[in-house]
Amino acid sequence: MNTASLSLEQTPPLSVPLRFFLTAPLFGLLASFLLLYEGPDLLINRWHPATLAFTHLLTLGFVTMVMFGAMLQLLPVLVGCSVPRPILVSSILHILLSLGTLSLAGGFVMGNAWLMNVALVLLGMSFIGFIIVINYALIRVKWRNSIMTAMHFALGALAVNVVLGIGLGMLFGGLGIILPLPTVLIHLHFTWGLIGWIGLLVMGIAYQVVPMFQITPQYPPLLTRWLVPLIFIFLLIWTVLDILAHLNKVPFIIAQLFPGLIGLGLSAFALTTLNIQAHRLRKLPDITLNYWRVGMIGLLLSIIIWVAGLLSSDLAMKPFYPVLLGVFFIAGFVLPVIQGMLYKIIPFLIWLHLQNQQLNVLKVISIVKIPNMKQIIPDRLARRQFFVYLFAFGLTIGAILLPTSFTYVLAGVVLACSFLFLGYNIYRALWLYQSVSQEIANCNSL
Amino acid sequence: METIIQTLSAEHSHCDKLFAQAEVKVANKQWNEANSDFSHFIFEMEQHFAKEEQILFPSVEERTGQTAGPTAVMRMEHQQMRQVFDDMQKSLTQQDDEEYLGLSETLLVLMQQHNAKEQQILYPMSDKVLNRDVPSILKQMQEFRENV
Repeated sequence: MNTASLSLEQTPPLSVPLRFFLTAPLFGLLASFLLLYEGPDLLINRWHPATLAFTHLLTLGFVTMVMFGAMLQLLPVLVGCSVPRPILVSSILHILLSLGTLSLAGGFVMGNAWLMNVALVLLGMSFIGFIIVINYALIRVKWRNSIMTAMHFALGALAVNVVLGIGLGMLFGGLGIILPLPTVLIHLHFTWGLIGWIGLLVMGIAYQVVPMFQITPQYPPLLTRWLVPLIFIFLLIWTVLDILAHLNKVPFIIAQLFPGLIGLGLSAFALTTLNIQAHRLRKLPDITLNYWRVGMIGLLLSIIIWVAGLLSSDLAMKPFYPVLLGVFFIAGFVLPVIQGMLYKIIPFLIWLHLQNQQLNVLKVISIVKIPNMKQIIPDRLARRQFFVYLFAFGLTIGAILLPTSFTYVLAGVVLACSFLFLGYNIYRALWLYQSVSQEIANCNSL
Repeated sequence: METIIQTLSAEHSHCDKLFAQAEVKVANKQWNEANSDFSHFIFEMEQHFAKEEQILFPSVEERTGQTAGPTAVMRMEHQQMRQVFDDMQKSLTQQDDEEYLGLSETLLVLMQQHNAKEQQILYPMSDKVLNRDVPSILKQMQEFRENV
């Protein structure tokens, strides 16, 4: 048996995941500023270019940004396969994703075709690069577990979505392309992006980290084995049926069966997560737990809103409806889950790298005290940020339902505060890292 | 047939339980109970480490001819955890609950990512490379415990 592929690689350099984690809150902040700048239109009309910019600043600039960093970090640690030349690879992906997202948002807001085309090239390269790098690492591992299965399907969904996104971008970019059924393709694009890429990946990560952090029972094996592949297959079938239904080849009711099934699958995931968390052995207050619980409730609520829209076309036709659904899914499910994860990953990585740096000092003259995780990001700061975030989410929902110049300003300001606070907590941790790291280096040079 | 992954994963779960017990006692400032629960936790962890370091890892290293591979990383992580154990013991002696809880949070993540690597990579690999010797190795581990 070849054991070389099972070498339990050491963790990649700190800068590999951290560059993504440090950038994400800045995009969140930018999205909040856009909300303030554009006004209530942004929250009531899904076709408004600023709404599209806002959505992509969050889904690409925040969510995908963190996911890139988390996958480049988790892959070597949890799966035991290494990413080749991690610093070079992460720098290139990070720059492409950052600049691509900025140009995309700029392209939407200014209606600039040139920027849009630049965005397509940059984002296309970053996604294709990411898919190749991760697949290259995954392929060399001879065994499978639920997180790897989820990563495979999430990457598959990302690939589908890149094709849809580039096609739609070319449409917006005025490249003279004519796409059939553009509204159907847009619908497919956000469903594959939100449920396929982000949703499936969150599920895979949850299978791994939820039992770890709160010492809960494991997810049932039946669920971890089948749910992600099943949702992926439902997405595929739904895609075909939805297109056929719009071409009047099959009745709509048949196509709509599948969103119902996907909704059931996602609900099973959310309810199972809440259930195993209720049976956790570690009962102490924990900000990650709070964030994940909010996220699971947010997911359940977005499924209810989704199904309500399927059942009532009156509701689905309301201009605010798609925005409400998107905000519930992104800001009520994905953002809390990601923020909760960051509050565990970042302090741990900083602690681990300082610890390793200390161990590598050969001539130990004096030992520098390494701050523990709760000193790196104090609970009280994380907790306050959590409440600011909750407030921001509530106000954003309020501004969608009651769009006035007052409600959206309030929502925008508090949303900006929540990202600013998150950023502060992360940058503060980085500064602490730098000062302790310097102290260790000084001890070494004495 | 009993396997390494089953036996040693069950030990991880057992230690997790003891870890959570000690932590909640510290959070409630029940220092006497915290001390005894913490000692119990450390005792079981050291037992588990010793079985791996003295029985499992040498067998795997002998079979694969690789001493700088996964087992070396696991040994290093055991050392890292032992360092945190020491710091936790100190904070317990000083009845510093804030320090203990910060350290226990750190230990939890360190321990869990270590366990995940063992359960997902090292144990399945051990069951495979040790193959027919698995029962005798498990027996050695069992006897090791009885000898303590």
